[in-house]
Amino acid sequence: MNRITRMMMGIALLVCVSANALRAQDKCLSCHEATVGGQPVEMFKHDIHHAKGISCAGCHGGDSKTEEMDQAMNAKAGYIGVPKGDEISKACANCHANAAKMKSFGSNLPTNQFQNLQESVHGKLATNGKERIVQCTTCHNAHGIVAVRNASSPVFPLNIVKTCTKCHADAAFMRMYNPSLPVDQLDKYRTSVHGIRNAKGDAKVAQCASCHGSHDIRNAKDTKSKVYATNVPSTCAHCHSNAEYMKEYKIPTDQFDKFSKSVHGVALLTKHDLGAPACNSCHGNHAATPPGISSVSKVCGTCHALNADLFSASPHKKAFDDRKLPECETCHSNHEIIVATNKLLGVTSEAVCSRCHSEAQNAKGYAAAKAMRSLIDSLENNEKKASELVNEAEQKGMEISEAKYKLRDAHQARLESRTMVHAFNEGRFREVASKGLVVSATVSAEATDALDEYVFRRIGLGLATLAITILAISLYVYIRRIERRQAKGVQ
Amino acid sequence: MAESTEPMDTQENRRDFLKYFLGGGLIAWLAAILYPMMAYLKPPKQAEVEVTSVKAGKVGAVEKDSGTIVRFGNKPVILLRNAAGEFRAFSATCTHLDCTVQYRKDMGLIWCACHNGRYDLNGRNVAGPPPRPLDEYRVVIQGEDILISKKA
Amino acid sequence: MKTLWSKTYHWINERVELDGLVEFMGKKYVPVNSHSIWYYFGGVSLFLFIIQVVTGILLLLYYKGGEALAFESIQFIMSKVQFGWLIRSIHSWTANLFILTALIHMFSVYFGKAYRKPREITWVTGMLMFFLAMGFGFSGYLLPWNELAFFATKVGTDIAGAVPVVGKPMMVFLRGGEEVTGATLSRFFGFHVAVLPGLFTVLLGIHLLLVQRQGMSEPLSYEEESPKERKTMPFFPNFLLRDMLLWLIVLNLLAILAVFFPWELGKKADLFASAPAGIKPEWYFLFMFQTLKYIPGKVFVFDGEVLGIMTFGLGGLLWLLVPFWDRKSSRGERNRFINYIGLFIVLYIIILTIVGWIL
Repeated sequence: MNRITRMMMGIALLVCVSANALRAQDKCLSCHEATVGGQPVEMFKHDIHHAKGISCAGCHGGDSKTEEMDQAMNAKAGYIGVPKGDEISKACANCHANAAKMKSFGSNLPTNQFQNLQESVHGKLATNGKERIVQCTTCHNAHGIVAVRNASSPVFPLNIVKTCTKCHADAAFMRMYNPSLPVDQLDKYRTSVHGIRNAKGDAKVAQCASCHGSHDIRNAKDTKSKVYATNVPSTCAHCHSNAEYMKEYKIPTDQFDKFSKSVHGVALLTKHDLGAPACNSCHGNHAATPPGISSVSKVCGTCHALNADLFSASPHKKAFDDRKLPECETCHSNHEIIVATNKLLGVTSEAVCSRCHSEAQNAKGYAAAKAMRSLIDSLENNEKKASELVNEAEQKGMEISEAKYKLRDAHQARLESRTMVHAFNEGRFREVASKGLVVSATVSAEATDALDEYVFRRIGLGLATLAITILAISLYVYIRRIERRQAKGVQ
Repeated sequence: MAESTEPMDTQENRRDFLKYFLGGGLIAWLAAILYPMMAYLKPPKQAEVEVTSVKAGKVGAVEKDSGTIVRFGNKPVILLRNAAGEFRAFSATCTHLDCTVQYRKDMGLIWCACHNGRYDLNGRNVAGPPPRPLDEYRVVIQGEDILISKKA
Repeated sequence: MKTLWSKTYHWINERVELDGLVEFMGKKYVPVNSHSIWYYFGGVSLFLFIIQVVTGILLLLYYKGGEALAFESIQFIMSKVQFGWLIRSIHSWTANLFILTALIHMFSVYFGKAYRKPREITWVTGMLMFFLAMGFGFSGYLLPWNELAFFATKVGTDIAGAVPVVGKPMMVFLRGGEEVTGATLSRFFGFHVAVLPGLFTVLLGIHLLLVQRQGMSEPLSYEEESPKERKTMPFFPNFLLRDMLLWLIVLNLLAILAVFFPWELGKKADLFASAPAGIKPEWYFLFMFQTLKYIPGKVFVFDGEVLGIMTFGLGGLLWLLVPFWDRKSSRGERNRFINYIGLFIVLYIIILTIVGWIL
């Protein structure tokens, strides 16, 4: 070292010494502040680690108590320089994955973040093959790390969106990893209630981490992902079923309960049928918003296409839109959709039709509903009766395979009429149901014939046996008589 | 001799009685045999047994780009002929709720009228509620005849 | 009635001279003893055969041969044709009862040594008819073209093919090809309704003619008794009427079986399906089938199955020729040895059939 440098070092030393107590303990910081300065130094001053008494050496290694650069930035003292790639996260994990260490600083933070990150989708290798895609510092920054609840943290609820979209809105970047993954989530998000409120400064609403997780983010197709189809309802329910949390928003919090009881809920959550809808199927993902009144049937219609088409062409479409009644929901409910039985149709108290139709009001519809209900009830009863008769004949051993085959048509007619209800047209409904009624009648007749034949055979056998018995007895007596006569003759 | 005529009389009566029984029994028996036979010989309403499954008809009878339902024992089978003239056959029982599917020329695929289920021409379920593809059947052309059988 | 009958008889008699025949028939008698019951079984077998012919012809009117329609046509008969179920079930039941009564008839003749001189040909024609009856059963079984029959035929013809030298060509002849196909069905149909009935009728004619000509065989014990001690009854009308009575009861039995135990149809044969577990032939083949199962794969240098088949073949041949090698009976002497062999065979058949059925 030359004289100038040594002099500068001496001045720096003075400056360091005159710094406040804390900084005096962190010689790295004080020295760097005085000399090279720069962003890292400025930011670290506000860093929570600094506040807790952790020096630069806490991450970079080395000896923070000495101002001698040789000693301080010495590999033998543990100095690792500026960590690159996976070294960064390992450096953080040195403390943050160590429960004892965290406790010693009075922290109750979880210590599984690093492990989660490694197992998450972000923990995969980057395209350069040398390091993981994401390091701790990617989201948390390196030197100005503050608590999550601190408004200046990049992972504070209001800031998360910006942090995630750094990569996830960059089409060129995302293309390197998953070309089919969309990059418009932010735009969509900003149209949703969550996104709008988030932009206005509401830190309670959902943002990226609320649904996707933070360290444990997995691909949506991964069964352990919080946004895997069967997990979506409970992820949404995390907030939306919490009455306390949702108090100020004044919307119901019973959707998850209702959904779990519904056909869709049972299918998705109990039977793990991935064909069944989760919250996002009807509400959308990032642009999550309940569908509008006149578009409900289109949303339901993505799966229930036939019903939706029929409904849109039916007189109910205009009637519902005029009265601002949501289309499918009015009769079937939205979250608590139960199995639609025949009871839903008709003019009884349990039927939905009677909510608007009565003999006095909307009488034409009343008549139609009544007629359709009676038709479908007869169809169901007749089909059941025909099936029972066929089974009985079969059990009795009669050849009835042809009639059994015909029964399929009755079954089909019943299913088709349940769909045809949504045209709300008695004529068309009758057309479909009649096919089933005719078939059921034919099958019942054939089965009854078979059962009659069964009885006929037994009666016939009885009569024939009677005839044969009479003949046999007479023959026997006749034989005896002949033999008696022969015996007499011989004597 | 007069004493023996009495028993002879009753014996004669008994003989007649028996002869009546025998004769009557014989006639009844003949009726019990002949009636079913005569009824059997009378042709039933459906005069002939219908052609069913295995021989599904003649090649010439099925148009190109069409489909038809054929009865295979107790199950329906859909026989397809594509535009190139090749035959394929699948179970026509929809894997959703057992309705009978049909070929839709306008859609170029197999469609189920009950809940809008769709299968491609390989029998794979491609849209709607059906959870599984349709089972395929074997089609063999023997001269002019189309034979359908279960896939091994 | 009586005058019509006598007028008809007179008319025929003028042309064909029946008197001699009638006188001859009038002298026919049947021994009456503790073994008399067995004399009925020949007649019952004949009766059952007649039933088979009648019901068979009736079935022929509606049965359609060929892979495509055989099964369905029987379904048709069972469900659509009036009393079709009755005709078909009687035909199937009678087939089994016919073989059973024929077996009993054969064994009763055997133990009574009725095959001895002068009745050797009667025995031979009877045995040949028995073999034809098994052929009837085997060919008829396939005609519904159902699953069980298809595989039973496969196994059966496979075993036939195992016979050395002639086995393979015989199998191909039977199957109408290398495998069991629709061609097999056609062949079996031809055998069942034309070839076998023709052969059977010829043999039956000879058999019955001989029985009438030679009269009923008397048990050996009669040789020791005087003519007076030998109890008999005239064939006409006593035995005949008793025969009729029995036939009547058998007919009723068949009707009861047809109504309460209808013959099954099962599933249509599928050439490409695998055999269902536990496939076995009809009961009258079971004892042979089960025996083959017990023979080890290789016995010294010989293939086990072939050895089994050849043994049965040899056994059958010896049985067929028993009148010629049982000299003692021809001389009128008791032959205990024959009885022991017969008893062994009967027990063997019964036990192995039961074993084959249960396992």
